[in-house]
Amino acid sequence: MKRRGTGVGCMFYGVGNTGLPNPAAAFVQVLPDTSVHVTVGAADIGQGSSTMAASIAAETLGLAYENIQVTWADTQVAPEGGATSASRQTFITGNAVRNACETAMGELKRTAAEELNVPEEDLIFRNREIYSSKDANVRMSYPELMGAMGKKGRLAVGAGYYNPKTTYLDPKDMSGIPYELYSYATTILEVEVDTDTGEVTLLSVVSAHDVGTPIGNKLVEGQIEGGTAMGTGFVVTEKIDVDPKTLAIKNPSLSKYIISTCMDVPKIYPIVVSSEGEAGPFGAKGVGEPALIPSIPATIAAINDAIGSNFTTTPVFPADIVKAWQEGQGKKS
Amino acid sequence: MNNITVHCTVNHKPVTVETAPNKRLLDVLREDLHLTSVKEGCSEGECGACTVIFNGEPVTSCCVLAGQAEGADIVTLEGISPDGTPDAVQRAFMESGAVQCGFCTPGMILTAEALLAKNADPTEEEVKLAMSGNLCRCTGYTKIIEAVLLAAKMRREEARA
Repeated sequence: MKRRGTGVGCMFYGVGNTGLPNPAAAFVQVLPDTSVHVTVGAADIGQGSSTMAASIAAETLGLAYENIQVTWADTQVAPEGGATSASRQTFITGNAVRNACETAMGELKRTAAEELNVPEEDLIFRNREIYSSKDANVRMSYPELMGAMGKKGRLAVGAGYYNPKTTYLDPKDMSGIPYELYSYATTILEVEVDTDTGEVTLLSVVSAHDVGTPIGNKLVEGQIEGGTAMGTGFVVTEKIDVDPKTLAIKNPSLSKYIISTCMDVPKIYPIVVSSEGEAGPFGAKGVGEPALIPSIPATIAAINDAIGSNFTTTPVFPADIVKAWQEGQGKKS
Repeated sequence: MNNITVHCTVNHKPVTVETAPNKRLLDVLREDLHLTSVKEGCSEGECGACTVIFNGEPVTSCCVLAGQAEGADIVTLEGISPDGTPDAVQRAFMESGAVQCGFCTPGMILTAEALLAKNADPTEEEVKLAMSGNLCRCTGYTKIIEAVLLAAKMRREEARA
């Protein structure tokens, strides 16, 4: 018999490490041709931290994304970036890039103020132009500004870092404020369970994530889709088989540790939710692990809903499902 | 063990390689021909990272011995855009955001090329079936499937123009 079930998973997740110093830094230089070199320690393993750093530099400096070159994770030249973990790089390295750009803008603002005869605080840097907030006709282009910088022998360089506000936890009861920033998410998932074979078909998933200000919608969607595929896989096919005596992993290969193919993943509908007013750069928050977390309880809850079982741990394999279904039927009769 | 001489076509050019008979096609391509877009993943034919187009079919080159390549027509990612201009499948992958860490991408693109060479207008289910031998841990496949469907559309429009 085939039975359908729906499950919901909700989570909130502290971005960055708990109650400990957790800094990252960035170097920035705006070059005479208006290209920008940004150097960060963050390791881009495909999640898009370099795209994030370039976007934040472009937004802060008033230049275009295409103007920004990022050198990343090269320990010979890059400043401390901390671990690329805990979904922290958008929040922490992103703020470091913003701080470094603001330092580099000191000389840019001074020079533009002199050239335009406008107080520094009235200057707006946007879309490769600099203009007065009081009179938009008083303006100059970025190449003109860099020309003026060159004539005056000034360089636009900046180093910056960010350390989130954390309070040390009370060693007695671990109370305190462990995170400066939280991400929130809810995942709803529908499954079809074959009670004779125990096979679970993942039908569709809606996963909504509060990411503050999304930096690149496609990047955020990619994180949500990837996290959902991994989380559902943790429930239906993935198990690390450890030998209890030797502690060796008995299935260290893709033929024995089964991950989802494109035929196994459900239809995924990511919803990117914007929110305002938090400490991330331009309001951005982390999404890496939040993408994964709620899909796991949602999948287990959907299986429980379908067959009236009470699974609380991963994985849930077909044999477990058939056994739970038969035991449940036995109790009824 | 004596070396063997293998004659084949790689990326549209005739190639002669002298190699050990127990060497895998994957290693011949990477080490002897320096075609490093061919990635070694699982080495057991499960993940598809080492996919090449072998006589028109997507094949995991970790499971092919050098001698089996005698007379074969082999295409790697380098042969898809020989002048450096991305073709429709590559452009569609970029446009759709189908690349995250990128390790599976060469194999994904070649499998898609082999599919589209045979079926210019595949359904979503046909794309999924064709791509199911290539594993990806980053994307959840959504944008990869979108990219292949987009590439098919771009190809059909290019053919019409």
